[in-house]
Amino acid sequence: MPAFLAHPVARFLARRVVYSAIVLLGVMVVTFSIVHLVPGDPVRIALGTRYTEEAYTALRAASGLDRPLPAQFVSYVGSALTGDLGVSFRTGQPVAVSLADRLPATASLAVVGLVIALVIALPLGIWAALHEGRVSDAVIRVGSQLGVSVPDFWLGILLITLFAATLGWLPSSGYTPFLEDPGGWLSHVLLPGLTVGLVAGAIMTRYIRAAVLEVVSMSYVRTARSKGLPPRIVTLRHILRNALVPVLTIAGIQLATILGGVIVVEVVFAWPGLGRLVYDAVAARDYPLIQGAVLLIAAMFLLVNLVVDVLYAAIDPRIRLS
Amino acid sequence: MMRRILTATGAVAAVLALAACSGGGDAVDIDGSADATAAEGGGSDGGSGGSDDVLIAAIGGEPDQLDPHKSSAYFTFEVLENVYDTLVEPDDDLKMQPALAESWDLSEDQLTWTFHLRDGVTFQDGSPFTSADVVYSYNRIIDEDLSPAWRFSAVESVEAPDDDTVVITVSQPTPNLLSSLGSYKGLAIVKEDNVTSGDITTAPIGTGPFSLTEYVSGDHITLEANPDYWGGAPKIGGVRFTFISEPATALAALRSGEIDWTDTIPPQQVETLEGDADVTLGVGPSNDYWYLALNQHREPWNDVRVRQAVAYAIDRDSILQATSYGTAVANQLAIPETSGWFTAYDTYSYDPDKARELLAEAGVTSATIDMLATSDYPETSTASQIIAANLADVGITMNIRTPDFATWLDEQNTGNFDMLMMSWIGNLDPDDFYYSQHHSGGGSNAQGYSNPEVDALLDAGRTETDEAARKDIYAQAATKIADDASYIYLYNPAVIQAWSPDLVDYVARGDKAIRFRGVSFAQ
Repeated sequence: MPAFLAHPVARFLARRVVYSAIVLLGVMVVTFSIVHLVPGDPVRIALGTRYTEEAYTALRAASGLDRPLPAQFVSYVGSALTGDLGVSFRTGQPVAVSLADRLPATASLAVVGLVIALVIALPLGIWAALHEGRVSDAVIRVGSQLGVSVPDFWLGILLITLFAATLGWLPSSGYTPFLEDPGGWLSHVLLPGLTVGLVAGAIMTRYIRAAVLEVVSMSYVRTARSKGLPPRIVTLRHILRNALVPVLTIAGIQLATILGGVIVVEVVFAWPGLGRLVYDAVAARDYPLIQGAVLLIAAMFLLVNLVVDVLYAAIDPRIRLS
Repeated sequence: MMRRILTATGAVAAVLALAACSGGGDAVDIDGSADATAAEGGGSDGGSGGSDDVLIAAIGGEPDQLDPHKSSAYFTFEVLENVYDTLVEPDDDLKMQPALAESWDLSEDQLTWTFHLRDGVTFQDGSPFTSADVVYSYNRIIDEDLSPAWRFSAVESVEAPDDDTVVITVSQPTPNLLSSLGSYKGLAIVKEDNVTSGDITTAPIGTGPFSLTEYVSGDHITLEANPDYWGGAPKIGGVRFTFISEPATALAALRSGEIDWTDTIPPQQVETLEGDADVTLGVGPSNDYWYLALNQHREPWNDVRVRQAVAYAIDRDSILQATSYGTAVANQLAIPETSGWFTAYDTYSYDPDKARELLAEAGVTSATIDMLATSDYPETSTASQIIAANLADVGITMNIRTPDFATWLDEQNTGNFDMLMMSWIGNLDPDDFYYSQHHSGGGSNAQGYSNPEVDALLDAGRTETDEAARKDIYAQAATKIADDASYIYLYNPAVIQAWSPDLVDYVARGDKAIRFRGVSFAQ
């Protein structure tokens, strides 16, 4: 065993990297197969309704689609290993560049959405659990049920109508990079962030309430209380800390989901995120871009999961990284 | 406990920092000017006036790429209409007028077209425009078989005897050559080094009224007024195109003054907007048309009586109301009344009895029809519901499929359908669409129509140089096509656009070309 793997954390990370590589290879096989199995011809879509047979053949050859599938797969994997995700049929741009262009907007929306969701869900979820069965619990539960049920496009349009069209406080759509104009960035990200955050917050409120409730019924909480510890200490030290693990799980899933693109919200707010890019790519059967985007989304899921796993161990000493 | 929370906050902050770091890198800033960002909100306060005003236009989606010879997306040409020029171009009445070519002569035998180019025209990077650019552009399309190549089917050679002259030789008289060269910016004159460097896909350089200065993927494209434009510098400072596909968002943005112009307006909104003082609405007839086609490779649709029965069985007015909320104009042929090529035709009426008679004559007592609609064009599934009810009345059972457009194209191409509904857009010369859709050798004749008489007429129309005679040929061909129900034409949809009342001199054109070169903001 190499010396650097002696440390348990290093061993853990090394193993996760190997697992992740295998998962990503699997993702490549599956996406490649699916995009080629789905009906629809990227060349025909690119050419529109009127074209000559020669134009069809020429574009097919230029896109490399005339080669046998196994050869296409081998060169796709081969290039991907060197970091080259190919060139989009639709835009003629390198896939890696197209994806990188959309990451800032996607990351902005994910972070702001998650922060808003946590700000809503943490206090409400904990409050509801600690006041189980009371009126406030019922109100929170009904509210979160409402939040889960509301379609996000409707919520988005409602927010635009109120804050952009009626009050004129915030822009209805578009995106400004943070470094270019932090104020503009914030005003543009608030409404889509709120849309994503309210829905995610409603889901997380329910999870947090359930997680806290489960811990409250544990015998060590009863022991702590019977020891005569003040309720505040019991809540902070015994209940919340132990409830954090499931909370982290759901927060990680929500973050990864938003990072993978929230198409409907992006469409409503004309947000230049990954979701719309993927949607357009699928509509045009832009194989290289679909494959690259799915690979990126899978990698982000794996990364978020890894961070969550490391945080588990940091929060709960009973969980070991080995 | 507190330390743990701080760790979590730290992780969030790290992601935020990542977002911020890469934030500046996604703009394609071509000339390094920072003015582009000032565009935001610029045009909305039209009161400020002056040539610094930037018009903000929301189109319904993002161009796929900006190479005019390779894109076939309407979104692309909404932008490129303002960046590029063609040799000739349609005016507001869709008649061809001089553009980069100031004048042209046609040889006695009709086979040699000589174009005299405008003097002193420059590309937006300052380099002079010459005949070599025209030769390069056309030969690029022809030699590389790019998407508009079919428009050059009769062209034998494109040559430049001197810097100001282009000579196009054709294999047969080609009366619609001007319309082929100018009807849209797919025939734009591009610059060779812009193509060879690969920049044309994101940073095209043309001779048009605006130069493209910035393209931010997924968010906006910024154009700046070209002060040296041969037609005179635009009165506005520039145009910023944003991509808003959600109508509610586009309308909210227009009402709040964030944008100055949009065509993301569904027909059901027209009635509400007509009384809105904050919005100027442009609704006019377009040259697009919607049609139904029955697959003549399959029984019983190969029987003309059965196709005519379907044409009598459908309630055009109900379909038109349901899909366009009354904004479209019913038409049993392709060409709208506003066009010089219009032919009156009203053979079919909503007449289920007549339909049943025709079916009985053809010996069809019951049939099942596989209708190919598509989810990407919602009007096809809306119309299908009505058509299904209409056909049920005459004993035909309809099964509706609504795959996405990519799959739809496959199904159409392999002939896997009984009936389909689709539209064609931007039609100027009748040869553009009648030939490819109804000639037995036409490239878009998926329905498999073959009538030697129509073939002969369509061949003759291609080469007839007398305008009146040519119009007569297409009137005969169109009538025959509709009589045979090769297509069952439905209606011409409306052009629907809306803009700020501060925007002056904008014209919503029938060919849906979006031209901002003549507009200004009210003082």
